Amino acid sequence: MSEEEATASGFEPKIIAFLCNWCSYAGADLAGVSRYQYPTNTRTVRVMCSSRVDPVLIIEMLIHGADGVLVGGCHLGDCHYITGNYYTEKKIKLAKKLIEKSGLNPNRLRLEWVSASEGERFSKVVEDFVNEVKTLGPSPVAGKNPDVDKLEGLFVAKNAARDFRLRSLVAREINLTEKGNVYDKTISQEEFDNLMDSAIDEEMARQKILLMTIDGPYSVLDIASQINLSPEIVLQHIVTLKDRGLVVVDRFDGVMPLYITPKEEVLR
Amino acid sequence: MEKKNVLVIGGGIAGIQASLDLADKGMQVYLVEREPSIGGRMAQLDKTFPTNDCSICILAPKMADCFGHDNINVMTYSEVSEIAGDAGNYNATVTRKARHVNEDVCTGCGDCNAKCPVKVPNEFDMELGMRKAIYLPFLQAVPRVMTIDEENCIFYTKGKCRLCEKACKIGAIEFDKGPEELKLNVGSIIVATGYDVWDPTPAKEYGYKKVQNVFTAMEFERMINAAGPTGGHIQRRSDGERPKKIGFIQCVGSRNPQLDHPYCCSVCCMHSTKEAILAREHHDDMESFIFYKDMRTFGKGFNEYMERGKSEYGITYINSDATVQENPANQNPIVVYDVAGKQEKMEVDMVILATTLVPRKGAKELAKLLDIDVDEFGFYESADKLLNPVDTKRPGIFIAGYCHEPMDIPEAVAQASGAAARAAELLSTKGVS
Amino acid sequence: MAMEIKEPRIGVFVCHCGVNIGGFVDVPDVAEYAKTLPNVVHAENNLYTCADDGLTAIKNAIKEKNLTRVIVASCTPRTHAPLFMRICEEAGLNKYLFTFVNIREHCSWVHMKEQEKATAKSKDLIKMGVARAVLLEPQEEVKIDVRPSSLVIGGGIAGMTAALNLANQGFETHLIEKEPELGGFLRKLSTLYQTQESSAKAYEGLIKKVEANDKIQLYKNTTLKSLTGYIGKYDAVLNVNGEDKEIGVGTIIVATGADEYRPKGLYGLGEHDNIITLTDFEKMVKEDKVPADLKSVAFITCSGARGQDKEYCSRICCTVTVKNAMKVMEMASKGGDAEAKVEEASVDEKAVSDKEEEKAEEPEEEEGESRRRSRRDRRGRRGGRRRGAERGEERPKERGAAVDVTVFNRGITTYGIEQELLYNKSREQRVKFVRFVPENPPKVSMEDGKLTVSYYHETLKADRKMNPDLIILATPLTQRPDAQELSKMLKVPLGRDEFFLEAHVKLRPVDFATDGIFLCGTAHGPANITEAVAQAYGAASRASIPMSLGYVQAEAIVSYVDRERCSGCKSCEVVCPYGAIQFDEEGLAEVIVAACKGCGTCGSICPEKAITMTHYTDEQLTAEALAALEEVGT
Ligand SMILES: Cc1cc2nc3c(=O)[nH]c(=O)nc-3n(C[C@H](O)[C@H](O)[C@H](O)COP(=O)(O)OP(=O)(O)OC[C@H]3O[C@@H](n4cnc5c(N)ncnc54)[C@H](O)[C@@H]3O)c2cc1C
Ligand SMILES: Cc1cc2nc3c(=O)[nH]c(=O)nc-3n(C[C@H](O)[C@H](O)[C@H](O)COP(=O)(O)OP(=O)(O)OC[C@H]3O[C@@H](n4cnc5c(N)ncnc54)[C@H](O)[C@@H]3O)c2cc1C
Ligand code: SF4
Repeated sequence: MSEEEATASGFEPKIIAFLCNWCSYAGADLAGVSRYQYPTNTRTVRVMCSSRVDPVLIIEMLIHGADGVLVGGCHLGDCHYITGNYYTEKKIKLAKKLIEKSGLNPNRLRLEWVSASEGERFSKVVEDFVNEVKTLGPSPVAGKNPDVDKLEGLFVAKNAARDFRLRSLVAREINLTEKGNVYDKTISQEEFDNLMDSAIDEEMARQKILLMTIDGPYSVLDIASQINLSPEIVLQHIVTLKDRGLVVVDRFDGVMPLYITPKEEVLR
Repeated sequence: MEKKNVLVIGGGIAGIQASLDLADKGMQVYLVEREPSIGGRMAQLDKTFPTNDCSICILAPKMADCFGHDNINVMTYSEVSEIAGDAGNYNATVTRKARHVNEDVCTGCGDCNAKCPVKVPNEFDMELGMRKAIYLPFLQAVPRVMTIDEENCIFYTKGKCRLCEKACKIGAIEFDKGPEELKLNVGSIIVATGYDVWDPTPAKEYGYKKVQNVFTAMEFERMINAAGPTGGHIQRRSDGERPKKIGFIQCVGSRNPQLDHPYCCSVCCMHSTKEAILAREHHDDMESFIFYKDMRTFGKGFNEYMERGKSEYGITYINSDATVQENPANQNPIVVYDVAGKQEKMEVDMVILATTLVPRKGAKELAKLLDIDVDEFGFYESADKLLNPVDTKRPGIFIAGYCHEPMDIPEAVAQASGAAARAAELLSTKGVS
Repeated sequence: MAMEIKEPRIGVFVCHCGVNIGGFVDVPDVAEYAKTLPNVVHAENNLYTCADDGLTAIKNAIKEKNLTRVIVASCTPRTHAPLFMRICEEAGLNKYLFTFVNIREHCSWVHMKEQEKATAKSKDLIKMGVARAVLLEPQEEVKIDVRPSSLVIGGGIAGMTAALNLANQGFETHLIEKEPELGGFLRKLSTLYQTQESSAKAYEGLIKKVEANDKIQLYKNTTLKSLTGYIGKYDAVLNVNGEDKEIGVGTIIVATGADEYRPKGLYGLGEHDNIITLTDFEKMVKEDKVPADLKSVAFITCSGARGQDKEYCSRICCTVTVKNAMKVMEMASKGGDAEAKVEEASVDEKAVSDKEEEKAEEPEEEEGESRRRSRRDRRGRRGGRRRGAERGEERPKERGAAVDVTVFNRGITTYGIEQELLYNKSREQRVKFVRFVPENPPKVSMEDGKLTVSYYHETLKADRKMNPDLIILATPLTQRPDAQELSKMLKVPLGRDEFFLEAHVKLRPVDFATDGIFLCGTAHGPANITEAVAQAYGAASRASIPMSLGYVQAEAIVSYVDRERCSGCKSCEVVCPYGAIQFDEEGLAEVIVAACKGCGTCGSICPEKAITMTHYTDEQLTAEALAALEEVGT
């Protein structure tokens, strides 16, 4: 079904809602108890804390055709697990950036704080998000004819979300920007965001390269033209990936090395 | 001899909560309930204000916990017949009425009552529905076993029948068994015998039993309950039609010195609001009018609940006393009230009376047995109203829930835990203050 | 569990919940659908799955059909999971092999007008449950020791009562009070309506008992500075007179009370010395500073409450108003001849208008009622009154009292027995009650140098004015300003009304959702002393349960580190709020099970994906969510 058809035929988005047990799930319970009506589009997965929701999990949902993903937690400061939702906020920030890089609208992911006493608010949040997703239209990667580029983008994003550096940065964002590092130096939020952004770009590029080299072998030039980056930058990434053992030289095409991802790494 | 055993009298929400608190900390509890099932009034309610939680849904797990608890011995269809001794060492005699069904064997399958030829009004459904002489008072009854009511069973009244005995495949029926007496030694006693709904027939101005489509609030609770006598349908007595316009009259019998109930029942403003909300939830076109003296919305979230009743459920609140007449043409009740000293009339399809609530039948007798005080209305009196609300004048005997003073469910629960704390305090020290 | 589970055998129980679910979702159809799902070997629908017969059906099916997974689709796991898990356990199935699917709160009740879609959603939700159930594993729970000691925060009537009860049950109890003295709000009050005796009498007796109890460690001028730990093992740092003191306890009771709300400017509060609140007046009475020549006093109830600022009704102020209205009457009737003369002079003129108003206020039949009432009263109906009489209290004059007391109100909330009788008595003493509607409250102004209340008389349908000497506002109780901070420290929520929010409004009134922390008194919401005390005993009872047992059963949901994958990067340590991660000699992470609360923050950040959250594994969550994305009808 094309987007226009879908909207015309009354597109009903599929939305996965990850709700924390203590606040937003309880808020949803209260919405029920108080009979606040809302659209039927959400499917809830209960987690103990919103910070349990891994960016990888979110992107996985989009890959499988979810039109939207809602994450609900306690209001900042109210988390049943003290600081859990502060990390939720950071994880969602990363996920949104990755989704955007993959070519989807990051508004397909929404984070909301709903307390146990906000039944009415929960119903409003769902209604509002459903409407927003309706305006965004069906997910470009859902259905029988998915947009292959975007789908590939999501795969790349999912792999990037697994990256060591991005994850350790997210874990340390609060410490670095608020409490200071081991030298008691804080860095500004802006500096951190810049750092993070370039890390994300690099990681996305590397994951794109890897996606090619899995089916490799390819030369740097092949890769550069395929993913729209300069051969110099691609070469830098290849060097890093080689260090991590994620690519090896398969053979030479004349003098040009052709890279490939070793079988054991593909399986990992 | 100090005993860590406690006797709880009355298995409503208050009695259940007190029992669970004590049993959860390892004390042995005997819970004595007069009716065939525990649950009390809360089991009869449809939803509970101000959250509209389904009443039996939140109660049923507690009933099951209580009955299944290793440290609680639940004795239903039983009454306390004798008490002797002192704090820390009371000897209680419990009479277990003959239910004529073996509790350990019966599975509550219902084969017997399908065969029973006797039909009598079901007290649990406020007599709006029927039950058999062998019966389960309600679907979620705990324990889920049948009871034969001797008063109506033809075998006991006429000497023959025993159809149920034949129907029972597992031989659970025990016609020959009489009542039993049980002696218990306990350290402390908690009384939680709750309330009865006052029968408003004597107050003729409200037309109860005369004007067909006048109901009590408790009848209405049963009627809107899916498991109730009408399967959740709101029906007029006169023609079975569903009403579209309901008048709720508050303080029927309460706050009325003429009828010896000058006090306020504390829950009726809220339960009428709840019932009007539920009626509207059942049917979009339902209109409700609540005639009140003062709207007392004093609990957590109550005022907000009433405001929602006005703005979202179209309830109209009219500040006036009201009486009821009947339109003989269609059996519609006519509510007579006044606005600024001028008499007005409103014809409605149904009237619900928020009748006053009074201590349980037998509360005074029980008080005598226990040697505790009752006030002139029959509520159990505390030793010190201010600082020891759950203590009675007799050390070691505590009170909780509606039997003590008008209150709603959360208050009854808090007080029940409170009574448990006092009992535990008594039994862990001798220095009771 | 010894049982080796290869092919999961799932049983699905779909609840009608009367009409709560059945009225909006086609339950039999949903149950039929469940039968078609992979690994489902049994599905049925029950009128009430949680009723005895429903529970028996679960047990029987586990035994007869050899179920290795049970799914109940009904209400919310937040109330009912423990019950169904217990039933599974009783039937020999590890309770962690149970899955809850919420088709009531999250479906039937919120899609009441879209029954087909609600049915389809129910099916989806069950499909998701089945996908999750297949991957579940049995878990074992550990017991956590509970220290037999408690921390009670707040030394008002509620805190003291709770502390005494716990101490008398044998538990070491630490009672902390922010102020230099115990007693709380009662220190500001004059007499109490329950006893007609001074408030001091009530709290002084308790203070003596608290101070004499050697199981109670009393700390005045003390607040909580920080708190770590969990039920059974809370470590608190107290700020005692500016110095830190560390204590360890098993449970905590919050009894921090409430403040009086002072809406500056409302009805001129704070703008004129003779516009005061109830508490101000109580203080005046207590300090014997009530002006001797009061001729007219006006009370205004619900000042700043019930939609006028605060949404809630503050429960106690009507009765406190009645108490103080009677106090004004009583003081005036004891006053000297001077007042009596003034009264006599004006009585004729006033009597006329009084009569008129009285009539309008009380419907005709009530006139008769009140006569009857006073007849009964003479017979000494109520104990309280008898007691009053015995003490030789002077009965205020019924006719032409020396002072005119008017209570402007939106209905008088004197619920229950004692309070309603007090209200009746005040009317007999000719306290006037004039009702107003919230849309048109009385207006307070200065006219010709006199305090003036202009109001619309609802029954007379006329504008009126009066010139009281004193205006007393009944303002609501409100949360204390520092409660927010405390709520963060304890990780317990405040409600919309800003009072502390209990675990369940109906059935867990004195518990917090967090294990091991309880609440009582006006910290929970407005309450009178009797109610605060009952709650205090209630909270003490709840807190004593784990302390008596000496342990609680911890949930089995904790995280687990795969040492093969861990690289020792310490990201988990950084994010763990409980310090539940430690590192071994090899520098690899290890989870302290007793400290882990199972939030999963670490698992979803571990850069090596070395951390698994039991019962909420990546695989389980992914499978559950993805099931919803498959096309329906598969
Ligand atoms: C129409 C109506 C609607 C209501 N709605 C709500 C609501 O929505 N929310 C709310 O909070 N409250 C509501 N209430 C109030 C609520 O019902 C009570 O607060 C609550 O049920 C009191 O519980 P209890 O355990 O004290 O008493 P009960 O429920 O009356 O229990 C007392 C138990 O003791 C047993 N018993 C009595 N005498 C003896 C004896 N001598 N020996 C042994 N056992 C005995 C009884 O059989 C009964 O099981 C409502 C009340 C009414 C009338
Ligand atoms: C004008 C007025 C008149 C009243 N008259 C009556 C009456 O006649 N009869 C009646 O029954 N009730 C009456 N009340 C109600 C009565 O005051 C309350 O029911 C009672 O005070 C509640 O006691 P509490 O212990 O819960 O709270 P409080 O009395 O407020 O005590 C709480 C204590 O906790 C302390 N605290 C607060 N925060 C902290 C912290 N962070 N750390 C340490 N300590 C802390 C406070 O300093 C205080 O000592 C009246 C109330 C008012 C406003
Ligand atoms: S399962 Fe839950 S909801 Fe269904 S009946 Fe039992 S309680 Fe009511």
